[in-house]
Amino acid sequence: MTALATHAMPPDRAVARQSLLYIFRERTVALLAALFVVLVMVSAYLGWSATSTVNSIYNDAVVYLTAQGQPIPPNPVHDISPLSLMRNMSIYVSLIGALAAIVIGYQLIAADRKSGVVPLIGARPLERGEYLRGKIAALLAANGALMSVAAVIATATFLILPQVSLSAAGWGKLLLFFVLAYGYMVMFGLLALGTAARTKSESVGLLVPVTAWLTVTFILPSLTGNIHPTAAINPISALAPPPDTTFFHWTGWLIGPFSVAESFKWLSADLLDYLPATAVTGSMVPPLPDFLLALILAAAFAVHSVGVMDFTRGDYDV
Amino acid sequence: MSDFTNHPVRTIAGKDIADARRDRFILIVTGFIALAALTSLITGAVALSTDVATYNDAKATLLALGKSLDSIAAPEFYPLKLLRGAIEQFEIIGAVLGILAGFRAAVSERGRQTLALIMTRPVKGWQFLAGKYVAGLVLLSTGLLAVFALAALALQLSSGVGLGLGDLSRIGIVWLVASAYVMVFYGLTFILTLWMKRPANALLISFAVWLLVVLVAPQIGDTLDPDNQVAGGVFKQLQVPKAEQDRIKAGYATFETVRNGIEAASITKHFERFSFAVLGIKDTYTGKALGPILVEKQGDFLWIFLTSLGLAVLMIARPINANRLTKE
Repeated sequence: MTALATHAMPPDRAVARQSLLYIFRERTVALLAALFVVLVMVSAYLGWSATSTVNSIYNDAVVYLTAQGQPIPPNPVHDISPLSLMRNMSIYVSLIGALAAIVIGYQLIAADRKSGVVPLIGARPLERGEYLRGKIAALLAANGALMSVAAVIATATFLILPQVSLSAAGWGKLLLFFVLAYGYMVMFGLLALGTAARTKSESVGLLVPVTAWLTVTFILPSLTGNIHPTAAINPISALAPPPDTTFFHWTGWLIGPFSVAESFKWLSADLLDYLPATAVTGSMVPPLPDFLLALILAAAFAVHSVGVMDFTRGDYDV
Repeated sequence: MSDFTNHPVRTIAGKDIADARRDRFILIVTGFIALAALTSLITGAVALSTDVATYNDAKATLLALGKSLDSIAAPEFYPLKLLRGAIEQFEIIGAVLGILAGFRAAVSERGRQTLALIMTRPVKGWQFLAGKYVAGLVLLSTGLLAVFALAALALQLSSGVGLGLGDLSRIGIVWLVASAYVMVFYGLTFILTLWMKRPANALLISFAVWLLVVLVAPQIGDTLDPDNQVAGGVFKQLQVPKAEQDRIKAGYATFETVRNGIEAASITKHFERFSFAVLGIKDTYTGKALGPILVEKQGDFLWIFLTSLGLAVLMIARPINANRLTKE
């Protein structure tokens, strides 16, 4: 009997464990993960800083308006939910979080192919399904670790800031946001895992999910709602209503289901309490079913790609 | 004597250009930028036509009621303003084009194990690297020229207003600066791909730099602007007059310096500031003569040009590492 067959651990768990050990040792993954964690902290600071500055400006304006005998408008900060302090996190998840997930998903398969062990794995008593389950478990665990760190930082921020307190419902919404963000990252990870298994070229395996990410983040929002690329990375501007024309009604309705980044931002804004009251979605598929459908499709693509992966081939072509 | 011995830089550049034409990779990525730029341009034109239609409806209603048109502002139409979305796509996807081209230019030599072969030929290291740089410059600037030409044509067709020589020269200047901007990412990725043990890691690090420089730094600067935190702008909501706004803002000079510093650390922001001024996309520069704009924006231009030049010098002057001749 082979060592693998007699291994105390089930084969899929052994694959997941070995893959995770490799992923955590990989410096580029560590770099992107560290970048993600730093940006999550920056996000918390930005939310606090921007809100504090608006509050200070309001206090200065009140002094002037009182001296002039003019009516005092309500403080805009009071209209802002404490949860919306984390609004930048939705952007960083859609940027660095998605990219980190792509790199993790890609490396999980590419590492085996580049080291030339794929034909060796094919010669071992390891079912394809076990290999797939091991890789997906590793992907879920690696992204879960990243998202857990983000959740801990966000929770600590809300506990540390004295002027901010969350209700039980608020904590529940924050938890749901992290589940949503985790799903978004896993979706891109699954896509990258699938392309890494399927493509002949190493760079194409990485570029296909990156191109898909660029398209959903910067091109589709332009088509569905005239959202320019720089507006797409501002949590408030990304939710601007589309121009009221037949063209955008149709593009929003037809292309909206493909614009999964918009669905993610919409759901994030809803959970973090910064979705404008007047906001409406023009897509033929509402954001939540659209998001879930995209996640299922990404999973199906990853399963199929590993299912048809050629275990007789080793490294990529140049 | 062979052409390679007499003109090594030209021969290597020519070989890379021929390779790129054959495998169509640059063509496909350039096509992707063209698609992104045209999408932004067309959706911008559609949005503008809506504003015009809304104005015309309001104008007809007021005239029918016998009222003055003073209460509604006519939408101002400057065709070059429609390039805003396209410029933003160049900022983001143009930089990706530079990264991919730089990566392929270096990794193809390591992957095919041709670097060792090149070093046995009568060609100096800097000549080989200069050939690579020239090829990248020709390929990327030609690709961008095609996209800018397409955008100018689409602008002419969608706006129905003929572009004058002045408009075309402004587009031409922005194309030159866009080429220098994209070459920054080409040079950076090429250097990393030849320098790092694993070329794939160089690609990922280039993407991490791209993410920070192109997306995160401008995003932080944008988010720290208090006027972006309240729908419609904080001062507008508080109904504070302009003079008082300026006085209040003066109290946040340090905050604003930090915010601007974060934005200015990004070469993308310099490209955006320069392009938006030259094309009159930013309202304060709309309709202004080109000469004073170029004088005012020479700082942004120098930032981009010197960064691009510095990376080019580093790329060409740095000796080829004998331990990094093959892909690992």
